[in-house]
Amino acid sequence: MFSRKKRVVVIIPAYNEARVIGEVVKGIIKALHKADYPGDVVVVNDGSKDNTSSEARQAGAIVIDHILNSGAGGATATGLSYANQKDYDIAATMDADGQHAPEDVVKGIDEIQKQGADLLIGSRLINADGMSKTKQLGNKGLSMITYLLFGINTTDSQSGLRIFSRKTLESLRWKTAGFEFCSEMIWRAKQLGLSIGEYPIQAIYTDYSRSKGQNNWNAVNILKSLLKRRLTEMFE
Amino acid sequence: MRYVVLVLLNLPIILLAFVNILTQYKMRRVTKARFRHQIILWSIILIVLIFSFPLYNYLVGKPILDSRELSLFDIVQTTALVFMFYIINRQRQQIEQTERMVRDLHQEISIKLSENNGPR
Repeated sequence: MFSRKKRVVVIIPAYNEARVIGEVVKGIIKALHKADYPGDVVVVNDGSKDNTSSEARQAGAIVIDHILNSGAGGATATGLSYANQKDYDIAATMDADGQHAPEDVVKGIDEIQKQGADLLIGSRLINADGMSKTKQLGNKGLSMITYLLFGINTTDSQSGLRIFSRKTLESLRWKTAGFEFCSEMIWRAKQLGLSIGEYPIQAIYTDYSRSKGQNNWNAVNILKSLLKRRLTEMFE
Repeated sequence: MRYVVLVLLNLPIILLAFVNILTQYKMRRVTKARFRHQIILWSIILIVLIFSFPLYNYLVGKPILDSRELSLFDIVQTTALVFMFYIINRQRQQIEQTERMVRDLHQEISIKLSENNGPR
């Protein structure tokens, strides 16, 4: 049932993002307010060495400071665990580098209710304008690998913009802590029988987000980790 | 034929090792010296594997390599490998369990500390 009365939380895992985190937090707070969604913005500061924590707090976010750097997967898990504990109806995750438009987050929160999905992935590749050919190749390759390993067909398995229903918050867990958690999360959702949907989003690439983004060499690391995970689970 | 099977079985493992060390180097997780050492090591293994047939021909007849059928030693060796695999798998599961506990603990401590310090 579509309603803008649902309590939502936007989770932003962040590591050394002091330069942009304030603007990202202010942007999403403004977008939620404009859409009339009651909710909070939670920044999970993953052991940053800069002022990410204080910048996010000043901008109006709830800040959870990780004592140790535990990777994007670990920080996202902490944020979703917080969302579950605090009984939010819907949670969204977005990147801290400013590559996601706040309007796309709100659109996703609307969309998950309309589609009745449990996990909704914001796909940058349905309309890939603005994304470099190299990044497109890397992302498409990882989506193909996700399909081959786990049998899940998504256009953008590595997207950081995801929307979670209450049911998903209560049940979804994963094991990996690095960026490979993006694919593993979808796999676990499939194992739990959760419905997975997609909607188009626009990626905003600035010099800063390009400098912070993952390069294609990291895709090799992700592939290795996913293969290891897939193989080891055959013996469990 | 058995040498072709040997090469086919082992080549992917060696190629994976090359990809692994190259990725680690490109991601700046290993030093140039370690990268060079690993490349030389795996290159030697690859060369020995590719030339294993002439190498065997050279060594055949030497007492240490005379084994026509499955010997008691082969059985002990295979059993030991299976047993080791079992032990390693168990250890891996225990490590994973501990990792998960540490991660959960880290999450809980971080959330509780943020609440105690006033989240806003």
